[in-house]
Amino acid sequence: MNGITTTEEMHSLKDFLIFIRSELKPKGKILTPFNLISAPIILLGGVLILYRFIMGMGAVVHNASEYPWGIWIGFIVMVGVAFAGGAYVTAFIVYVLRGEKYHSIVRMAVLNGFLAYVFYAGAILLDLGRWWNIVNPLIGNRFGVNSVLFLVAWHFLLYMIAQLVEISPAFAEWLGLKRARKFLASLTLGAVIIGITLSTLHQSGLGALFLMAKWKIHPLWYTEFIPLLFFISSIFAGLAVVIFIGTVSFRVFDKDRIDEEYRKSWDDILIDLGKACAITMFVYFLLQVLILVHGKNWALLNTPMGYWYLTELMGLLLLPAFLFGWGVKSGNPAPIRIAAVLTMIGVIINRIDYSIIAFKWYLPFSERYIPSWMEVVITLAIVFTMVWVFRWIVNRVPILRKPPQWAIEQEQEEEEEIEGRAMALAPQLGLTMADGGKTIDLHKK
Amino acid sequence: MGIDRRTFLKGLGAGIAGIAPGGSLLPGRVEAAEAPGNKEFMGVIVDTTRCVGCRSCELACAEAHNLPIPDISDTSVFEKNRPTSETQWEVVNRYQTEKGEIFAKRQCMHCNQPGCVSACPVNAMEKRKEGPVTWDTNCMGCRYCMISCPFDVPKFEHNSATPKLQKCNLCWERLKQGEKPACVEACPAEALTFGTRRELIEEANTRIYKKPNEYISHIFGEHEVGGTGYLYLSSVPFEQIGFRSDLGTTAYPEYTKGFLYSVPVVLLLWPAFLSGVSAITKRKDNVRRKEGGKV
Amino acid sequence: MEGFTYVDIFATKGIEYLLVISGLLFFTFFWRFLSRPAVAVYREAENVASTISDWFHLPVEGVYFHQGHSWAAPEDGEVVRVGMDDFAQKLVGKIDAIKFPNVGSQVAQGEKAWSLLVGSKSIDMLSPVDGKILEINERLLNSPESINKDPYGQSWLMKVQAPKISSNLKNLLSGSLAKKWMEGVRENLLARMNYNLGAVYQDGGVPVDGIARNLDRERWDEIVREFFLIS
Repeated sequence: MNGITTTEEMHSLKDFLIFIRSELKPKGKILTPFNLISAPIILLGGVLILYRFIMGMGAVVHNASEYPWGIWIGFIVMVGVAFAGGAYVTAFIVYVLRGEKYHSIVRMAVLNGFLAYVFYAGAILLDLGRWWNIVNPLIGNRFGVNSVLFLVAWHFLLYMIAQLVEISPAFAEWLGLKRARKFLASLTLGAVIIGITLSTLHQSGLGALFLMAKWKIHPLWYTEFIPLLFFISSIFAGLAVVIFIGTVSFRVFDKDRIDEEYRKSWDDILIDLGKACAITMFVYFLLQVLILVHGKNWALLNTPMGYWYLTELMGLLLLPAFLFGWGVKSGNPAPIRIAAVLTMIGVIINRIDYSIIAFKWYLPFSERYIPSWMEVVITLAIVFTMVWVFRWIVNRVPILRKPPQWAIEQEQEEEEEIEGRAMALAPQLGLTMADGGKTIDLHKK
Repeated sequence: MGIDRRTFLKGLGAGIAGIAPGGSLLPGRVEAAEAPGNKEFMGVIVDTTRCVGCRSCELACAEAHNLPIPDISDTSVFEKNRPTSETQWEVVNRYQTEKGEIFAKRQCMHCNQPGCVSACPVNAMEKRKEGPVTWDTNCMGCRYCMISCPFDVPKFEHNSATPKLQKCNLCWERLKQGEKPACVEACPAEALTFGTRRELIEEANTRIYKKPNEYISHIFGEHEVGGTGYLYLSSVPFEQIGFRSDLGTTAYPEYTKGFLYSVPVVLLLWPAFLSGVSAITKRKDNVRRKEGGKV
Repeated sequence: MEGFTYVDIFATKGIEYLLVISGLLFFTFFWRFLSRPAVAVYREAENVASTISDWFHLPVEGVYFHQGHSWAAPEDGEVVRVGMDDFAQKLVGKIDAIKFPNVGSQVAQGEKAWSLLVGSKSIDMLSPVDGKILEINERLLNSPESINKDPYGQSWLMKVQAPKISSNLKNLLSGSLAKKWMEGVRENLLARMNYNLGAVYQDGGVPVDGIARNLDRERWDEIVREFFLIS
């Protein structure tokens, strides 16, 4: 500690370690149905991951030569990243548009986004045949600046850092690091703005990856607008996930982990999120129709793949959009929750379509890719591990409850400072503004 | 082009390597002994009217690249259409056409503007000035090149713990020695002709012109996906010998051009726009707070 | 692209990305640079600070303030001089006319006594005492703009015969209480100011159209009414 270690600090350091040790102990019940199901899967998944790294991908992955990207990319990465879209959308609403009403969910959304990136994008490592070279595009063992994937890789990395910065004040509050919190909180807006920019680009970038798979993807899915479609669908995918996680979180977590005001405001927020989803999905639907007409592909609708396309479009896009709308109009959260789940399924299917279902759709069934049980177990293990980590953090860090009093005060001071600066008058007058309650002698001049 | 990309990338690499830990540990580039001057693409004509399906080229290819040696006396392999694989950089297939059986070998087409090269995030795939598209070991194994190849050629050794990407490299190592590709040298029927792409197109046109009854008037690869190093001549439409007719003449990297060109623009405009929005909402927020705070 | 030599269509991408990164860094500094208030504003703010503090100078003893920014100064016996304070005029700006009740009519403490006519708007002010109007300051009727000169002396508004003067004065503020109240008013005012204010005070003086209008051009009269407790 920069050379000025005092006895008091030593003392607090000891306290700090004791605190950490107590926090590392499990909280809550251990034998829950969820734990009983997920723990063996995670263990098995861990073993299989080891197996994959020792034996090579082929030992675990099924039929990989026709389908370079199976469910690890097609589901974990593509869907995981789309589902993490809630983070940038909520951050945009709360920090850029200053929708204070939604402040209670922003940390949850950003934490979910951050973990999704760490785990799901981390799953890329599994799918990289030569995974030890993963640092190459970053350290410049040749920069493939002409590659969409190069951009996506860099954006992943930078966005993870941005999200870490966004969520870091919560961790500083947990650990009681006041000065660190102040510094980290001052970076939030910048991180949010950079984060939204990066999200825009890599959400659409994931779509752009498929631009060169021109004839390999069924014409109903292949369009030059894939990047745009991926970006817009990540908005409602992310919001649907926020609805889902919020609904689950506010139910399953202990009362003392959740702020009562947050819980009460949730139903109201839920309706608003449903409204945003309904509108975005409706616009997305119109865009899809526009693209269908633009590509002159309507004749293909009356084929098996066309039926699949229509199922996706009607059943998993228009129907949930309608359910969202219904829930919003009637003020009823139930249809919104159902719609959120349908939307998530729709996005999962949409992303899987691009790399698996509509990819080389013309191959006979026997040559098509069907994930092996090992791929599925590893995938589930990754998802469950993420849920465990999410739970671990929410049980300790102020995510769903209000920050400690000192952090709230720090925030207010900060705001006053900013406000004061904007006023230009205040520093001169030595005044603290409006609610500051400090009075200074004006007559000293 | 005004900017030499390699020189620039080296500079970029050196710059970042200074920041990134371990940057100095980068394996050195496997530099080809590049002769000066504006090199032209080399290529190969595959004249399917001459191919007899002896598979000598397969054998020569396997020998030249330490791949499993195929049994070329076994004609049962023709029963089904074989794609290239991680153990076979090139394969000869037999097609039933309106003019009877026709043999055609398949391998990397060595596009002028390869999709795989523009897809590679580490430039492990590289289009050499001499024409070959080669693979290097700094590959991460993301297999984006497999997604992006219009001919579905690159194959990955999934079953290895240290997999490599396998595809024809137009015998790049032989080319550097001034030799012809192994397959061309091995062909007993003169179905394969090696030369600069410019010469080959002339040669192919000459053959079509001289024997209009033996060839259809189309050189496959002259314009397909922006032009390829391998050029095919045939007596039947190319769909019948296993080529797609919907590849178009647009080079594959062009499909991502719109997106990639918009990235720097978005990176510049988005933060500025968002900062503006944020500043406006902050102003409004302050006003609201004052009115609500103390009246 | 003639198709015989390699042309990289993304040749400049790397440079573009470097440019963008440095561009973003530059943007960040540029933005922060522009967001800091200008030096001139600081300087003006100093002027404003000294000017504003003048407005809150309270006169010597003998003047009692109503919280609606009118004042009362007892003269002899039941006669009381009544006026509006300096701040009230500064807040409103240029007053076109003052509408008084007739001499001889009654006014009541805390109720409407006279109105200020500013442009098309009319703003009421409250009387600090109960009583009968004895006299109206003729000087102000002719030149209402002179109200700012000596607001607690020559620029009184009217004289009132106030029979309940002693109980009336107990509801008014003077001395340290008045000072405290003014402090609150000042804070309230400063809290509403934005940094555009500095620019208005080019000469360090008070804007002709009043401070309220600088707070909110559209609804300035409402703000004034808030300060004058008319609502």
